[in-house]
Amino acid sequence: MEKRVDFRDQISRNKNKSIFLMICVFAVLVLFGYVISLAFEPGYFFMIMIIAIIFSLSYILVSFYNSDKIAIASVGAKKANRNEYKQYYDLVEGLTLASGMPMPRLYIMPSKQINAFASGRDPQHAVICVTEGALEKLEKRELEAVLAHELGHVSNYDIRYMTLIAVMVGMVAIVSQIFLRSLWFRGGGNNRGKEIFILIGIVMAILAPIVVYLIQMAVSRKREFVADASAVKFTRYPDALIRALKKIQTDNSLPEKRVSKAVAPLFFTNPFKGLGRTHPPLEKRISVLERM
Amino acid sequence: MIIWILIGLAIFIVLIFFVYFNRFAILGNRIDNSLSQINVQLKRRADLIPNLIETVKGFAKHETAAIKAVTDARKALVGAKGIEEKVKADKGLESALKTIFAIAEGYPDLKANTNFLELQRELSSTEDKVAYSRQHYNDSILTYNDLCKTFPGVFFASLYGKKQREYLQITEAEKKNVKVKF
Repeated sequence: MEKRVDFRDQISRNKNKSIFLMICVFAVLVLFGYVISLAFEPGYFFMIMIIAIIFSLSYILVSFYNSDKIAIASVGAKKANRNEYKQYYDLVEGLTLASGMPMPRLYIMPSKQINAFASGRDPQHAVICVTEGALEKLEKRELEAVLAHELGHVSNYDIRYMTLIAVMVGMVAIVSQIFLRSLWFRGGGNNRGKEIFILIGIVMAILAPIVVYLIQMAVSRKREFVADASAVKFTRYPDALIRALKKIQTDNSLPEKRVSKAVAPLFFTNPFKGLGRTHPPLEKRISVLERM
Repeated sequence: MIIWILIGLAIFIVLIFFVYFNRFAILGNRIDNSLSQINVQLKRRADLIPNLIETVKGFAKHETAAIKAVTDARKALVGAKGIEEKVKADKGLESALKTIFAIAEGYPDLKANTNFLELQRELSSTEDKVAYSRQHYNDSILTYNDLCKTFPGVFFASLYGKKQREYLQITEAEKKNVKVKF
């Protein structure tokens, strides 16, 4: 990233994109309702549409206000105990002082990998989660750099957009999968019109995960550089982040099993090696940091 | 028609005055807030010292010089007025503490004492926090001064009587390495 990044631009872009995303998800869900209603009896059309709209709206509201909890639950993370993880708390407290941000809630997820993620809808409702592996294997300053990177995501409002993508779009993939599966059991329709819509439904169901994949690729790559820059802005110490990235390069050889692919872009580094590149290559991130 | 345009323009200009007034107020508050954060961390640090002294006395009673140095440095920190003086006193405390921790290396019992280790960890983490809150203080001042210096902020700054603030400096004398005596 040779171009200078303005953090304020990044914030408003994330907020706008989040709204745009919610509208898109709403439209897609209502469209799904429409397709489903046409596949059923025509008499149920309005009922199904009304249900679809109510469902979509509540789905968006629920996922907006609970996106962090869904993300936390999906990776099986636990709340970090203050007395047990003193250093973890101390480091984040120091970073909140450096950045003037509110204290996020801290979580631990059971994994041997070195990784971390941040989630939430805004800095006031943010969570940061690190793996047990990161706490064990990283030194104090390296861990601090990783946490600073996550706090960078929080301050740039990446967490809002990225968590919404993971939760909402991830859910679209699941819904379309269910739709596709239900078609298997329904057998052929006896109406020509129906068949066309079933076909559309199948096409959409196939497209949904591809769309997810493309969106995820588009979102996080640039963001990671910005978050790395924010981390350096907070700690004024790029070396620690470089060391942490290098450690991950050699250490994270085993792919993560417990994590759903939908939440992969949230992480500090991609938990799945070679599968759906949601992050810029570590070498690139290191070389950018070395130039700082 | 012309009148409406003029009214619209007038409202726009008044709004700009409000926006700049608020920006100065918000940034000024941020500076004050980060200043109070430094004070909170420094106070926390001073509060930890008596415990440390008690623990060290239990194991290394005859290291009176080093213990006294820490007690004095703490007194200086507690008595310091103004942020510059406080930060300077904190630096003095930091070097006195380094001596104590170096001495502790020679006392295996003290070094292994959980209370001592806990205090050592706590003191170093508050030192980090002091450094970070100072960094944030200076960052806040930078944003504020940028607003004071650039156009059109410079115009509003003189209008509202806002002056550039002073950064918190570390002088060369404070930066010099700490000598550890035995």
